[in-house]
Amino acid sequence: MTAVKLSIDYDGFEEGKRMETEIERLSASPEAADLTSLTIGDWGQAYENSSEETVQALVKHSASFPALRKLFIGEMGYEECEISWITQSDLSPLLPAYPELQSLTIQGGTSLRLSQLQHEKLEELIIITGGLGKVVLADIAASTLPNLQKLELYLGVDNYGFDGGLEDLYPLIEPAKFPKLTYLGLKNSEIQDEIASALADAPILDQLHTLDLSLGTLSDTGAEALLASERIKGLKLLNLSHHYLSDEMMLRLKNSGLPVDISDQQKADDDDDWRYPSITE
Amino acid sequence: MPASEPLIVFCSPGDRRSAGIQQARLRLGMPPALLIPYAGLLEGQPLADLLEQAVQQQVRDGMPEQAGLPTPGLNGAPGRAQLEQPDSLDGSNGRPTPDFPDGSGGRPALDSPAQAGPPLLRLESSDGSFSRHPALDSSAQARPPLLRLESPGGSFGLERALIALGAPDAPDTDDSLHPFGQQPDLRPLSFKAAAALKDMPGVLHHPSQWFRGYCRLLAHIRREAGQLLPASRWTNDPAEIAAMTDKRRTQQILAEAGVPVPRPLCGSGGQAPVDYASLRELMLTQRMHRVFIKLASGSAASGVIAYQLNPATGAEVAVTTIGVENYITRPPVYYNSGKLQRYTDSARLAGIINWLYRHGAYAEQWIPKPGISGHSFDIRQLVVAGEACHAVARVSTTPITNLHLRSQRMTPAEAGLPEEMQAQVRRSAEASLAAFPRCSIAGIDVLVGSSGRTYTADVNPFGDLLYDVEYQGCSTYEWEMKQLSGRNLSL
Repeated sequence: MTAVKLSIDYDGFEEGKRMETEIERLSASPEAADLTSLTIGDWGQAYENSSEETVQALVKHSASFPALRKLFIGEMGYEECEISWITQSDLSPLLPAYPELQSLTIQGGTSLRLSQLQHEKLEELIIITGGLGKVVLADIAASTLPNLQKLELYLGVDNYGFDGGLEDLYPLIEPAKFPKLTYLGLKNSEIQDEIASALADAPILDQLHTLDLSLGTLSDTGAEALLASERIKGLKLLNLSHHYLSDEMMLRLKNSGLPVDISDQQKADDDDDWRYPSITE
Repeated sequence: MPASEPLIVFCSPGDRRSAGIQQARLRLGMPPALLIPYAGLLEGQPLADLLEQAVQQQVRDGMPEQAGLPTPGLNGAPGRAQLEQPDSLDGSNGRPTPDFPDGSGGRPALDSPAQAGPPLLRLESSDGSFSRHPALDSSAQARPPLLRLESPGGSFGLERALIALGAPDAPDTDDSLHPFGQQPDLRPLSFKAAAALKDMPGVLHHPSQWFRGYCRLLAHIRREAGQLLPASRWTNDPAEIAAMTDKRRTQQILAEAGVPVPRPLCGSGGQAPVDYASLRELMLTQRMHRVFIKLASGSAASGVIAYQLNPATGAEVAVTTIGVENYITRPPVYYNSGKLQRYTDSARLAGIINWLYRHGAYAEQWIPKPGISGHSFDIRQLVVAGEACHAVARVSTTPITNLHLRSQRMTPAEAGLPEEMQAQVRRSAEASLAAFPRCSIAGIDVLVGSSGRTYTADVNPFGDLLYDVEYQGCSTYEWEMKQLSGRNLSL
């Protein structure tokens, strides 16, 4: 069981280092055969260069990584690239190339597509973005992922590419869509209240153990809808962490007996306007 | 312990720095330092008077027997003070050499001839050494004092006085220590207008004029101390403090000394950006799409922008400490925001960046800082007398890691920096201070790049206010007092 992360920094890229070459080198190395987890970080100025060549290289050398189960495309922080600027590409060629893959994590929503999203064994799909386009939501709605157990989508804000609405999410929460799904995360959203209300009494809840509505703009409105639901009581975890709930609502949730995570309360009026003198320390 | 020389500190008495120094000296059994208030100097009081007041204060405080005070000779013979001709700093590209033609120049208000000393203060010898007053100690001959400058911050009154001193019509216009003193400040405030500035917390009133005023104060102190205490030595020479306080000059000196620094943004002919438009153009032509823009004379992350320009889409994002208040009928007010601001709209960014360049700014490559799980860090490495000592990793979830901006503090090891990289950071910091041969103390900000390279991002002459960090059992001030007393400084 081995895990590798490949990343190309600014200087490396300027000096001619390329992700395709790094992947090729890894494929020829002794550890390739046992590699179970591969993380692709910055493929070199990802705000300008898309992940397309990286995907092609991973497809080309897939036979060298027979043990690969976990793949992360685009793990990079703000020190490397603004999340919403990470330029992805159509990642669906990866799926037929790695038929044993179990987990796929994608970070960055710009230019992202999953046009042929079909895989017999994939258990986890996680997409982390500052704004997920509805075209990707449509790709997921059209997918065939019979073994999917965890779907986690960071939806983001319209400023950074979220151009969808509830109507684009409904197809994803049809119970027949992902029959094995037990973890659903529709999170990091600026329409978190609408999502909570839409999910509160959705039939898909009957099969879930976790509903993850964290990191968004959830307010008392969304929480009220969740509290009113009978279906929600079957969950093992309702994750509402990072929210805008009132203290009163937090108390009600605490007393409800629901297995709820309400950590990291945000304050809408917290504009935090403290100022400091130029010369201090 | 060898007999230590008296220490004279230019500071804001009572602030955390001067208190830290006194506490350290007390713990080490050293006589307390004499504290000379900047405020007094800026009010025009002669150094001799302030020194005498400081001596008397200590006598009143009842510690004469341990004071070991210098009793600077003021027997009415100021002419005997042979002014040292300061060497010019090497490689001063277009930088004026400090010039003290006769030691009398400068502000009349601050430069009244030394008064005949009151009985407590008597000149004993002409070689610049001092004897103690009989009331204090009749025996040993004291050693020439050590002079130390502290941060000129901490009060609006000082800030305002320095902006006034930087005015074109200020009484003292000695710009010899200003690295770019020949370039006039844009839209200056008159002496009177500056003196009438109102205290608005965090507001950046006029950074370039403040820096000019500060350089004039440094020149004044250097000149007056040279006359009054010719054998004294500086822990950090005022001329080099001026250079360290201008990032453009600092990075130039480091680069010339061969110390790795983040690549400056400049064109193939060496031209630096002068405003928002030229900044963007250079970022595109030089393929440097992520930069830090820093106010040349800023400190404490004042006037710092982490700026990104997307070459594919033209989009831009800035994360900065600069807050803006916009008004309809007057220019915007810029302030230091404790909460980092994020801007993406061009009009606002153009306003901020143009303002920054008007006051002098410096843009350099944004070196991605290492880190784990959304936290990244840089290292503040203190160097004293050529040797790296106390180090702190400043860990933050934002690109700007200064400690007062709610960063976490860890040891470099806790932050995950391997020992061999810690050693490289120390060497890098030592090389950085060595580029300033007349300075014995600085806090160096070192960045660790992803490929194991280190870069010096900043050299802080007052970068030693670090709490709760020890080196060989000493606090920063204790270590400095031990290392610098009774030994030859590289002056």
